[in-house]
Amino acid sequence: MATEVLWWIFAAAIVALSAGVVFSRSVIHAAIFLIGSLGGVGAMYVFLNVEFLALVQFLIYGGAVTVLILLALMLTRMGASGTPEKLNGAQAPFGILVGGGLMAILIGVAVSTNWPKNVSDKPFAISIQTISNRLFLDYGVPFIIASALLLVALVGAIILARQEEGE
Amino acid sequence: MVPLSNYLVLSAIIFSLGAYGVLARRNAVLILMSVELMLNAVSLNFIAFAAYLDPTKVTGAIFAIFVITVAAAEVGLALAIVIRLFRNRATSNVDEAATLKW
Repeated sequence: MATEVLWWIFAAAIVALSAGVVFSRSVIHAAIFLIGSLGGVGAMYVFLNVEFLALVQFLIYGGAVTVLILLALMLTRMGASGTPEKLNGAQAPFGILVGGGLMAILIGVAVSTNWPKNVSDKPFAISIQTISNRLFLDYGVPFIIASALLLVALVGAIILARQEEGE
Repeated sequence: MVPLSNYLVLSAIIFSLGAYGVLARRNAVLILMSVELMLNAVSLNFIAFAAYLDPTKVTGAIFAIFVITVAAAEVGLALAIVIRLFRNRATSNVDEAATLKW
């Protein structure tokens, strides 16, 4: 029972923080809200008994990705210009239309679908051993390809962001 | 415990908010943050399905690991592109990066 109450608190917090990311008027506030939202999703993984992925979520999203985003925000700010820049384009009302419609459709489908009767009402614990067996035995090739992808992305990011001579 | 559909509804809400952000924002970094929200919603969906429906094969959890990997690579590259755009055009507004539009 206590778990359920906690779940609802976390779910409400995630929705509020995610709304903060897309509706906030300040870029930095949006980034801070994003950290909270990503951490909340990590907490959801704990509720689902997948501790390993919760750890990965906190480390990679909560740590690395948000630091990168904050760094990029810092590097691309126009300095202390007087008027705050307009963050939403003229197309924002259509965005509300599309986002609201998408939300209605997705929630309708998720609620109205008849899931198989043998679905348990509580999540199974996925152990780190199961994950590693699957990842390294059955998905070895995609794992290696993903590592190559990370290397290529690393080199590409350095080449793109590098200061060229004569610039 | 909370049923599976709660997770699905939560992830649908996060995904739609992210989609709205991608459509409405002008700043490239803010668009990227909305994309992160959408990716997170998808990961949550995958892991919820793995934990409720597929406890032996855990395909959803494996999928989520790859989603996180690709998202990390994507963020690094996208921010490099934003920094390069800012250096060339002194803006991170995607509406102003319209050289191909005549």
